[in-house]
Amino acid sequence: METHALPGARFVDPKVLSRIKDLSLLARNVVDGFINGLHRAPYFGASIDFAEHRGYVPGDDIRRVDWRLYARTDKYFVKQYEADTNANFCVLFDVSKSMGFKSDEVSKLQYGSYLAASLAYLSHRQRDRVGIITFDEDIVAHVPTSAKHFNVLLHTLDRAKPEKPGRLIPMLDKMAEHFKRRSIVALISDLYENPADLLESMKPYRSLGNDVIVFHILDPAEISFPYTEPSRFEDLESGEHVPVVPEVFAEQYRKMMQDHIAAMSAKCSEARIDYLQLTTNQPLDEALFYYLGNRERLMRTR
Amino acid sequence: MSFLAPLFFAGLVAITVPILVHLIQRERKTVVAFPSLMFIRKIPYQSVERRRIHNWLLLLMRITAMILLIAAFARPFFNIDPVKAAAARSGAREVVILLDRSASMGYADHWSKAQAEARKIARTISGEDKGTLVLFGTGAEEAVRATGDASRLDAAVGEAKVTSDSTRYAPALRLAQSLLSRSSLPRKEAFLISDFQASGWGKREEISLPDGATLTPVSVGAIETSNVAVTSIKFQRTSFSGEERVMVTAGVTNRSTAAVKGLDVKLEVDGRLVDTRQVSIEPSSAASVTFPALTVAAAMRATVRAGEDALPSDNQFHFVLSPSRPVSVLIIQAEGAQSSFYISTALSIGTAPPFKTETLTPSRVTPQSFEKRSVVILNDTTPLSTAADEALKRFVTQGGGLMIVTGEHVPWNGATPLLPGKVGGAIERLTTGGGTLGTIDYSHPVFEEFKDPRNGNFTTVRFFKYRQFTPSPTDKVLARYDDGSAAVAEWAVGSGRVMLTASTVDKGWNDFPTKFLFLPLVHKIVSYLGQYQEPDSWYTVGHALDVTVPIAAIVREGGAGDAGVARRPTGVVMSPSGSQTTIGEGGVQAVDLAEQGFYSVRLQGAGERKPFQVAVNLDPEESDLTVMSPSELVASATGKAAVTSAGQSLENPNLTPEDMEKKQAVWWYLLAAGATLLLLEAVLANRLSKRFGFGLS
Repeated sequence: METHALPGARFVDPKVLSRIKDLSLLARNVVDGFINGLHRAPYFGASIDFAEHRGYVPGDDIRRVDWRLYARTDKYFVKQYEADTNANFCVLFDVSKSMGFKSDEVSKLQYGSYLAASLAYLSHRQRDRVGIITFDEDIVAHVPTSAKHFNVLLHTLDRAKPEKPGRLIPMLDKMAEHFKRRSIVALISDLYENPADLLESMKPYRSLGNDVIVFHILDPAEISFPYTEPSRFEDLESGEHVPVVPEVFAEQYRKMMQDHIAAMSAKCSEARIDYLQLTTNQPLDEALFYYLGNRERLMRTR
Repeated sequence: MSFLAPLFFAGLVAITVPILVHLIQRERKTVVAFPSLMFIRKIPYQSVERRRIHNWLLLLMRITAMILLIAAFARPFFNIDPVKAAAARSGAREVVILLDRSASMGYADHWSKAQAEARKIARTISGEDKGTLVLFGTGAEEAVRATGDASRLDAAVGEAKVTSDSTRYAPALRLAQSLLSRSSLPRKEAFLISDFQASGWGKREEISLPDGATLTPVSVGAIETSNVAVTSIKFQRTSFSGEERVMVTAGVTNRSTAAVKGLDVKLEVDGRLVDTRQVSIEPSSAASVTFPALTVAAAMRATVRAGEDALPSDNQFHFVLSPSRPVSVLIIQAEGAQSSFYISTALSIGTAPPFKTETLTPSRVTPQSFEKRSVVILNDTTPLSTAADEALKRFVTQGGGLMIVTGEHVPWNGATPLLPGKVGGAIERLTTGGGTLGTIDYSHPVFEEFKDPRNGNFTTVRFFKYRQFTPSPTDKVLARYDDGSAAVAEWAVGSGRVMLTASTVDKGWNDFPTKFLFLPLVHKIVSYLGQYQEPDSWYTVGHALDVTVPIAAIVREGGAGDAGVARRPTGVVMSPSGSQTTIGEGGVQAVDLAEQGFYSVRLQGAGERKPFQVAVNLDPEESDLTVMSPSELVASATGKAAVTSAGQSLENPNLTPEDMEKKQAVWWYLLAAGATLLLLEAVLANRLSKRFGFGLS
C-alpha cells in the first residue's frame, strides 16, 4: 500500500522528520513524497528492460526464448532483462559519539538515520538487496544484504546510539572483508579523519568493484562555528577539554574545516568515489537526488 | 564620615571575587561539547586572551555592588559639631540658648549633658556678642537676659534645675523669635538644647524666626531608652460593715525595648508602706497591679512606686484616697403629709453621687438640724420656727442648697430673703387634661443633659395643679408651664443656691413622679444645689488650683455650716517644696500646680479641719521618651531646612555613635543601592549568557 497524501517537500525537511518516530514510515514518506515531486517514473531497470541475449541452456524457461531470433538464426537464445540483475545496497553507518552532536533539533546521527532509511527504502522498492553495518570503535551491528532485510535494517538504525568513540579507518579496513559481491556502498559519517588516510582505506572497496558513495554529515555549527564567548570545549569522543577564545579562533577553524571538506571532495573524486557533504539542516531530497542520479548512471554504464 | 563597624572593610578583599570571575572562572564554568577537537587542537591556545576582561560594565557593577554592601555593613554616619560650626562665622552675635528643663531631662545624665552643652555655647560668647538663657518646660522664662558676660550665663546654667514640667517647644521658640526679632546685632542664633521628646511638639505650631536667624538643635537625648512609669490609678469602692473600702489598681507602663521582670510595685499611704506587689511587663507594654482593699475613713495621701530607673520622677504616682461622702439632704415636709415618698426614694438610689436623706416635720427642725447638710428640701411644708428659719438662712448664705417645693401648704409670700418672688394661689388644669411644660432653659446645668430628645421628653408630664409664682427681677426662671407661669425658678442667696418648683414632687398635683425623667432630674437638682463636684484624686502638673476646689470639698463633706469658711474663701497653699501662697481673697485667684507631690490647702475659718490635700503628678506624656529628629523639628519650626549657620548638614555631636548611626540610617540606602545593582547585574548577565545555547542534549 502506497500513500502519497502529502507534498514531498514537507517530508524531506529533517526538522519535520525528527517528529516521526517510525523509521519505516519516515522513509516511505520521504521517498514517496520525493518521488511525487519528480515528473518521471523512478522504476529504472524494471523487468521489461532488455539487457542482452545468451544461449539457451536446459532448465531455462522456454517462455523467455527469443523466437524471432530463432527464426533468423535457427538457434535458441534467451533474453535477459535488467530487472533480473538486482544490486546490493549496503550502508556503512558511523554511530560514534561525535555523531550525537547537534546545535538544533536534529543530531548528525538522526540525520544519518533518516538518510540511510530513505536510501534503503528507495533501493528496496527497486528490489535491490539492502544491508547495513553500524560501527564506532568496532562493528556494532551487521545486517547482511538481502531483499528481506529492509525491516531489520530499520531496526538497526532505530537502535543506533552514539555511545562510544569512533575509529573510522580501522573499521573501514575491517568492513571491506564483508563485501564479496559487487555492491553499492554508502558511507555515512562525519569523517573526522585525514582525507588521504580515509581514501586509502576506501580503495579496497573500489577495487572489489563496489560503487562507493560518501555522505559527509556535519552540523551547521561545525562549519560556521558561531561561538563568541571564551569557553572550554570538550571533545565528545575523547572527553578532552581545551580552553577556547572564539574571537581569535573562529576564522582559523572555519578555514580549516572548509579545507578539510575540499580535500575530502578532491580525494574522493580522484578515487572515483562519489562524495556529498550534507548539513543537518539540509532537506534530504538533495541526497536522494544525488543517490538516484548515481544509481541511474551506474546502471546504464553496466 | 565615620563608621560604626569599620572592620567590615576587610571585606573589600571580596572585590577580587568578581574580577577573578571575569578573568578565570568565567571560562571554566562554561563547557561546550563539540564533536571533535581535531582542528581546535591544531590552533595554538593564547593564554593572554583568556585573561582579557570582556565585559567591563558587568565587572564595574559587581565591584560597585560589593563596595556598597561592605560600606552598608560598616554602618556609616556623619558627625559634625554644629556648635563649632555656628561659632566659626564672624560678626557680633545675638545668641539665645533654649535649655529644656522638663521632667524628662532628669533621665540618666541628660541634664548634666545639657548643662555642659549650654556652657559650651555660653563660652563662645565674646566681644560684642550678647547671650540670653531661656529655660523652658511647659512654659519658657528668661533666666539671663542679653548679656555679654559668659560667666553669668554659666552661673545661671549651673543654678537651673530640672522641673516637673512637661516638654513644650513652642513657647520657648516663640520667646526666641521675639528676642531675635528685637536684636540689632548682625548674627542671630538660637540653640535648642533638649532631649527632643516627640510629645513636646505639635505639628501645627507656627514659629517664624527672623530672616537670617539660625536655629541649631543640640540633642542630649538617646534613641534607646528604658523607662518604667506609673501612669494611672483606678479605684474600686465597696461597702463592708458600714465602712467604705477602696481597692487601688495602678497602671504601670514599660516604655523600653526590653522586658521587665519581677518589678516591685509598692503602695504607700500617709508615708507608710502598705503593700508590695511584683509584676513583669513585656517590652512597650503596660500592666496593672491591684492592691488589697483599704478602709478609708478620711482623706489620705497615697503613693504608688514602681521600681527605680534612669527617670525616677515618673516611677511614682501620688493621689489622695478620700471617702466618697454622700450628699446629705434634709427633707422637711408638713405634719402628717406623705409628700416626700417619691423624692426620698429617688434620692436613696443615687450612686454618683450617693445621697443620704433625712425627713423631718417643721416642729422637729432645730438649728442643729442643718449641720453637716449639703441640701435642704422644703417639701410643701408649713413655716419653720424662727430659730430654725434663721439657721436655714445662715445655712444657705454660707453655701448650702435649698429647694422649695410649693403645694397647698406653702404660706410664703416673699417676706423672707430666701424667697424674693411671690407665691400666689393654685392654678387648676384638671379640666383641660393637665398643663405641660412650655419652655425649658436647656442651657442651665440642671436641664442641659435633657437637651437631647433621646434623654427624655418633658412634654409627656401632666401638671394638674400648680401655684402661681411671680419671680422677682433677680430670679432666673428655668422652666415655664404652657400658660407662661413659672414652673422652676432659681436665685442665689449668699454663697448658696435656692430653687423653687411651682408644683409638688408627689402625685398630688402632677404625674411627674411616675415618669422616668423624675429620678435623673431630682438627682441633677440636688447635686446642683449641693454644689457637688466629683473630687479629683490627683492633678497633672500645669493645672491651676483655685479656691473653689477646697470649698466644694468642705460643702460636700457637709461643712457648709461651719463658721466663716465660705464667707471668706481665703487659704494658704503649701507646695511640695515648702513654699506658701495665699489663695482667694487677698491673694492669688489660682495656684499653678508646678511641682510633683502633695500640695496642702488650709482654708481660713476651717478650724481644726485637716488641710485639704492635692496630689500632683507628671504629665504621662513626659514618660514617653520617644525622640523626634532634631532636624525635623527645626524644619517644621522654621520652615527651613535644618542647617547650621555655617550651612553644614545638621547633626549632633552628643549622641553616641550608635545613636547617630541609627538615626541617620545611611546603611539602609547603601544596602538598597547594592541590592538593586546586583539585581541589574543578574539580569544583564543572564541576557549575555543566553548567547551560549549549544551542546549535547
